[in-house]
Amino acid sequence: MTLFHGVKNACYPAKLLNDRLPGISMPTTPVASAIEARGLRRIYKVKPAPVVALDGVDLDVASGEFFGLLGPNGAGKTTLIKILTTLLLPSEGTARIFGFDVAREEKRIRRIMNMVAGGEQSGYGILTVREQLWMFSQFYGLPRADGWRRVDELIDAVGMGDERLQRVSTLSTGQRQKMNFARGLLNDPWILFLDEPTLGLDVAAARQVRELVTAWKAAVPGRTVLLTTHYMAEADELCERIAIVDRGRILAIGTPAELKKRVQRESIFRLELDRLEGGPAALARVPGVVSAAPTAGDGGPVDRQTVAVNLVLVDDGALGGVVGALGDLGSHILALRKSEPSLEDVFVELVGRGFEAEVA
Amino acid sequence: MTTTGGLDAPAWGGFDPARAERDRSGRWPAFLTSVRLGWQVEANWTDPFLFFIYSVAKPLSATLILVVMIDIISGGGAGPYRAFVVVGTALWSIVLSGLSGLAWTILDDRERYRMLKYVYVSPSDFLMHLVGRSIARLAVGVMGAIITIIIGVLLLGVPISLEKVDVPLLLADIVGGLWVILAIGTVLGAVSLQTRQESWQYPEAMAGALFLISGAVFPLSVLPAPMQAVGLAGPLTWWIEGFRHAVFPGGPSGVGGPGSVWEGVTGTAAPDPAIIVGALLATGALVTLAAIGVFRVSERRAKERGLLDQTTGS
Amino acid sequence: MSVVETGRPTTPQEDADWSTSQVVLTNLRAIGGRAYPRITGLMREKSWVFFEILLPLLATSAFVFVYRALQAPAQYIGFVVIGGAMVAFWLNVIWMMASQLWWEKSQGNLELYFAAPMSIMSVLFGMAVGGMVMSSSRAVVVLAVASVVYDVQFAVDQWALLLAVFFLTLAALYGLGMMLASLFVMWGREAFHLTQLLTEPIYFVSGLNFPVARLGILGSLALGTIPLAVGLDAMRQLAFATAAFPVGTPEPAVEALILVAMTIAFLGASRLMLATMERLARKEGRLSVRWQ
Repeated sequence: MTLFHGVKNACYPAKLLNDRLPGISMPTTPVASAIEARGLRRIYKVKPAPVVALDGVDLDVASGEFFGLLGPNGAGKTTLIKILTTLLLPSEGTARIFGFDVAREEKRIRRIMNMVAGGEQSGYGILTVREQLWMFSQFYGLPRADGWRRVDELIDAVGMGDERLQRVSTLSTGQRQKMNFARGLLNDPWILFLDEPTLGLDVAAARQVRELVTAWKAAVPGRTVLLTTHYMAEADELCERIAIVDRGRILAIGTPAELKKRVQRESIFRLELDRLEGGPAALARVPGVVSAAPTAGDGGPVDRQTVAVNLVLVDDGALGGVVGALGDLGSHILALRKSEPSLEDVFVELVGRGFEAEVA
Repeated sequence: MTTTGGLDAPAWGGFDPARAERDRSGRWPAFLTSVRLGWQVEANWTDPFLFFIYSVAKPLSATLILVVMIDIISGGGAGPYRAFVVVGTALWSIVLSGLSGLAWTILDDRERYRMLKYVYVSPSDFLMHLVGRSIARLAVGVMGAIITIIIGVLLLGVPISLEKVDVPLLLADIVGGLWVILAIGTVLGAVSLQTRQESWQYPEAMAGALFLISGAVFPLSVLPAPMQAVGLAGPLTWWIEGFRHAVFPGGPSGVGGPGSVWEGVTGTAAPDPAIIVGALLATGALVTLAAIGVFRVSERRAKERGLLDQTTGS
Repeated sequence: MSVVETGRPTTPQEDADWSTSQVVLTNLRAIGGRAYPRITGLMREKSWVFFEILLPLLATSAFVFVYRALQAPAQYIGFVVIGGAMVAFWLNVIWMMASQLWWEKSQGNLELYFAAPMSIMSVLFGMAVGGMVMSSSRAVVVLAVASVVYDVQFAVDQWALLLAVFFLTLAALYGLGMMLASLFVMWGREAFHLTQLLTEPIYFVSGLNFPVARLGILGSLALGTIPLAVGLDAMRQLAFATAAFPVGTPEPAVEALILVAMTIAFLGASRLMLATMERLARKEGRLSVRWQ
């Protein structure tokens, strides 16, 4: 998909190294972090009492990473993303995007980033999709003809070819979000901020948006995405690393696997066997097995005689012993599936621990 | 039976499909709620001092423009024409407020609050809701008019004498006039249902145009005959004439006078109170019927084209 | 490959480092981009032709007839006609520019504007340019039709100065509009209602329908602060060069210089105020609070 490769030469004239604004010095080596936040706090002065939306957030997101902020409504995700997209100043603390300070160097940041929020109703209803996107292309400095071309490419890429001449006010929610996504890609940003991009979308539309995000990021190495969401499965599917946020604080950061390991201390497997001599109790005696219990069938044909067992092991390494024991018992393994805790389990465990600590 | 708290049928009976068939006695509370909502929307944006300025500065400035124009030409002094103009421009602030009431309510609710569709699908009457919402703006205009007239009496030499005021005529005129203004405002509301967000200025443009043919700041006799005829068919002309006749009995007429179509047709210099009230009622009734008709047509067209929940910014 | 060879920035830091020409080009394109929806909207929904051109012609006519009722000298009809033409631009400044950022916030567009690299002044100017189609049409119709219908006799000696004053008035008006836009974003609905205060009170102190010199000290104050007052007075003196004018206002050339000073002052102040507004809005989180 060629449009998702960098088209920076179409957008900007060729530059000489010394053709820049006076007084600006370039770092001699690129800064590694796409996002660097230290001690971020944000307090809203509202009645009846001030609201602490962010309460000391530290964050590092590497260049080229797909990073997620996962948390419930009111956790502070949108506040954090507004600070990082230079729409909001922090009350305390600092944040940098590729080394540029969000409080003082917002102009530079705006040239290399873009943002898409879910549930957006912005836009001019009287314009067509094509016109709406072209207008924004002008805000990012694309030459006129290049702007139209880029808009047409993006409209095709997001699958809105049939709607390109349709007025914005007549778009469905899913179509509008795809248009918003196309707007977010107009300037081929180095970092894309997505604030609940699938909010309010049906299953098919949400899947399309996720696929678009994934494809866009994969097309060029180095593209960074920060995604906020309260959909656990979305974060699990898309993000390389996730920060779990609640009440303005980051409770945990890690890859989805690392986060799940925090709450899972044992390995849980579901086995389907053709037969099991002695029943699940025969497996309970195998070293490394914490427990073995029958479990509900999978709803297969009634004449199929299978035995389903839930097996809890001290770790994955004990599985070898189980397989050996099954062989000795003359059983054949029909299916083996590992059960992992979901991110929801992680969140419940973390928030519960955090809530108890606050109450105490 | 296990209760589910607030999800149980409420104490007043709850869901009843026959409710839609019963009488519509709930209209009046809904209308009052709309009035109250309109007042809160209009009055909650600033402190009383600024709100008072808003009710004074605009109508008073409009009046002073005309007063200065008169003074330039006539060399100053409080002639009868000055009183004529002060009353006319004071009343015009009510016209402007009333005309913008429904139109701005529709634009506000549709474009900014995005609530228009929810109001529309509720059982309350849509037009009555809009009228209720605009009552507050109309009240602000009335307040401005009263203040302007008081300043006119105290500082600009407007000779209103309370003993000479024809109170029954005044009351009839005020009620009829406010009704007519809301009717014309309904027409503009109908237009707003069809137009873009940028049509905020349309009420002012309409008020400016009606200013020409309503005898507000000059007698109709100044206009060419065809335009006088148009003015005589307008209810605002009779409203302003009635007000002037009530507060200045025997004063200059906006409808009659030397060279006027009125004098040519009726042979009288100026209409008497009964004719004024009758003309106001007749023209008002026609305008009201036309306004309701136009609004219903516009409403249907808006439904057909999906305009009730569109946003149209540019 | 290096930036010199390919023209492509290879790091985000290089990409963020725009040259002056790039900044200027982006802002010029932003003006065109923002004017586009406004002009398109006018072409697609044409009710403005009736409400914004024909009806205002009637409103101007009302003041003409006031002077006729007073049997005023003919030049006063001309004053009203010029005032009726110029008020179109003032209304464009108030409704299509000053209050527009507040509308954009209500609709959720303001955040997107601030997240983009162009200057918000370009957005405002684009709105004004887009609205100028309507304002210019209104001004031309009022001037042309009313002049013919009411037999206004112009007597212009200095066409160049007249045109210069006209364009300087527009420049100063739009500078003032940008200043007001920043206030409107911060004050929310209060500022929206303040557009009402910017109609009749401004018409009065600007001498929309009469020479501003008649207002004495108030008129002098207006000449020092309100571009509409200065511009109208200068254009009237130039358009009716042979008519007798009340004394008390400067010569048109001096008023042109006042307009130059106003333009510079307003544009400079608006740049500062918009930057301050943005900083305050970011500090207080007002870029996306709608129900203010």
